[in-house]
Amino acid sequence: MLFALFPLYLVIISSFNSSGSLQITSFVPTEISWNNYKLLFNNPAIPYLTWMKNSLVVAGLVALISVVIGSASAFAFSRLSFKGRKPGIQLLLLVQMFPAILAISAVYVIMERVQKFAPGIGLGTQGGLILVYLGGAMGVNIWLLKGFVDSIPKELDEAAKIDGASEVQTFWLIFIPLATPVLAVVTLLSFIGTFNEFILARLFLVDMESRTIAVGLQQFIGGQYSQNWGPFAAGSIIASIPIVVIFLSLQKYIVNGLTAGSVKG
Amino acid sequence: MLAQSAIAQKEYVIGAFLFIVILLILFTYLTNKSIPLKFFLPGILLLVAFVVSPILYTVTMSGFNYKTGNIVSKEEAILQIKNRAFEPDSAGTSFDIKIGTHLNNPAILVSDIENKIYFISTDKERIAVPNTQVTLNEYQVAQSAPGFTPLPTDQLGSADSQYSGKRFIFKDEYFLSLEGLDVAIVARQTLTYLDKEDVFKNIINGEIYKDNGRGNYQAGSDSTAILEPGWRAPIWFENYTKLFTDSRFRDPLIRVFIWTVVFASATVATTFALGLLLALALNKPLFGRRFYRSILVLPYAMPSVMSILIWGGMFNTEFGAINTLLGTDIAWFQSANFARLAVILVNLWLGFPYFYLVASGALQAIPAELQEAAAIDGANPRQIFRKITLPLLLQILSPLLIASFAFNFNNFNLIYLLTGGGPRNTLDGEIAGATDILISYTYQIAFGSSKQDLGLASAISLIIFILVATISLYGIRKSKVLESFS
Repeated sequence: MLFALFPLYLVIISSFNSSGSLQITSFVPTEISWNNYKLLFNNPAIPYLTWMKNSLVVAGLVALISVVIGSASAFAFSRLSFKGRKPGIQLLLLVQMFPAILAISAVYVIMERVQKFAPGIGLGTQGGLILVYLGGAMGVNIWLLKGFVDSIPKELDEAAKIDGASEVQTFWLIFIPLATPVLAVVTLLSFIGTFNEFILARLFLVDMESRTIAVGLQQFIGGQYSQNWGPFAAGSIIASIPIVVIFLSLQKYIVNGLTAGSVKG
Repeated sequence: MLAQSAIAQKEYVIGAFLFIVILLILFTYLTNKSIPLKFFLPGILLLVAFVVSPILYTVTMSGFNYKTGNIVSKEEAILQIKNRAFEPDSAGTSFDIKIGTHLNNPAILVSDIENKIYFISTDKERIAVPNTQVTLNEYQVAQSAPGFTPLPTDQLGSADSQYSGKRFIFKDEYFLSLEGLDVAIVARQTLTYLDKEDVFKNIINGEIYKDNGRGNYQAGSDSTAILEPGWRAPIWFENYTKLFTDSRFRDPLIRVFIWTVVFASATVATTFALGLLLALALNKPLFGRRFYRSILVLPYAMPSVMSILIWGGMFNTEFGAINTLLGTDIAWFQSANFARLAVILVNLWLGFPYFYLVASGALQAIPAELQEAAAIDGANPRQIFRKITLPLLLQILSPLLIASFAFNFNNFNLIYLLTGGGPRNTLDGEIAGATDILISYTYQIAFGSSKQDLGLASAISLIIFILVATISLYGIRKSKVLESFS
């Protein structure tokens, strides 16, 4: 219990410590000062709110789009019969095992080239980053969602078929309403995953203004633990709150999703 | 539109890809030929563009000597060698100059102060200027001359790329090359490229540099007598054989591999043990169980990037909370063993809630009758746990244990953010740090040091891929076996 709480406790007291240094003189808070928080919101050198907004926009868009696209693919894999279904699933699984970080040099080169003719979605833009994330999220999401689609009774869409529904109608009118809770969980998982992503974001977003919160705070602390500790502590607390709240309130569903899928990254 | 502008920018591969994409989209959504494709297409396209093609690119790179010094294409390398191959004249003559334009072409106004000769020089011609027509400053350097427009000071910075590397006419085989913005040296070409034979020839001593088949022009058989830069040339499996035969690459790789396995196993073992322990403790109805549960899950709910950075601060030698708490003075990240301990400890904190959650789920799934039956047979609680509960749990959770192993095998964020793979002995040019796992080591080879080697990194990537794929497939097969039991 102590082990779980200790670092969190420490960050919270550091964030209220006006000296802003890493040094802990006492493990019992002696003062409550909002200096570090004020600094975050007023210091033009740390566009904290912009970072936070960037993270929410990028992670939100990636989560929503990837779940819509992913569930369509998962539906097809699970329900429709076509040539190459089985090898398709196996290929998907194999591709997903390639360590994504190692392909980043290739992603970098590709996006550098895209930049030349489509500056809006190339290197250094959030649009480009979102596209790359979407590609990366496909494998996991299709795989996760396929498991859920498999568990929905086949009789339901057979009944729909007899009533004359097309595949597209079955998808939108039968599958999507049934799977809403599951889709919500997968959306949240991809949101959290994207929110946490750091390496690609760091490589892509060079501008101070376009950074995500993970990159922003990492660069801000940048090894200078002793100097920027206080504001950093405050910043990471605010950034964590939405994620922690979402996680705790949906704990039960998320755990089910986790055991079906993979480990958190 | 995009496809057109891609091709206009000479990005034929991407252009062609976009073109096919557009055709496919039109075909799929305007006709009714293939209904599955309507569902698939967006997902597949994204996968191909940002996952499959980078992987193929990586595979290709692993067959090339793609590294610092061999980054560009062969044509580009030849051009650069030609441009760089000059030597100063024997006296080391240099002149003061002024940068500007002559008839809208880049030109320099040269002042040979000793001989009181002034002239304008471009890359095509040399125009003498009579002494009477130049304006000199106090150092006798010409500032302006008829037909010469000096460059405004605010444009000097951006003009650098236009002027440096250019050859301004001097006399005979000698030319002027800029050294900074106001000095030029007299130099002559040393190497010439012979198109037909595809060799470089040293004009002065006649030495021949041949394409050595590995991305460099080389004189004779001395592999250090090569011309810079080289280009990326296919060397097929050399990156792989190097990893297994050359001890300079093999030894660090083996060391890193062992640590990777140790790290991943230790993480799985410790997180599972602690998670299980807590799950057992909280399995009985207990006052405030929900509260405890929420607290235990907190480390897992925190964004991991933040938690890792926070831990990084806590392990700080001088001010960190860990040393303050223990009353010690340990330089955690400077000593190999302490750094390793720290890495495992932090990962335990990050990972135990996961196993706590799944283990408490699994405990509920074990039928209570089994334990009751054992108790009736006279087994004590310890025996029940060891003989009944644990084996069953391990069986249920083994796919997750394997998945966790595979995940931690590639846990880049943790290593990179906490220790950066260090401590490493950079003075000896060591790339592999004490806490580097395979993936962070590869990242270090590809992007980290000043000598980047993308070819070698790609080769290691593929080896990791094969390892992880094997582990995961084993895990999947194991879970399939379990499914068929239930």
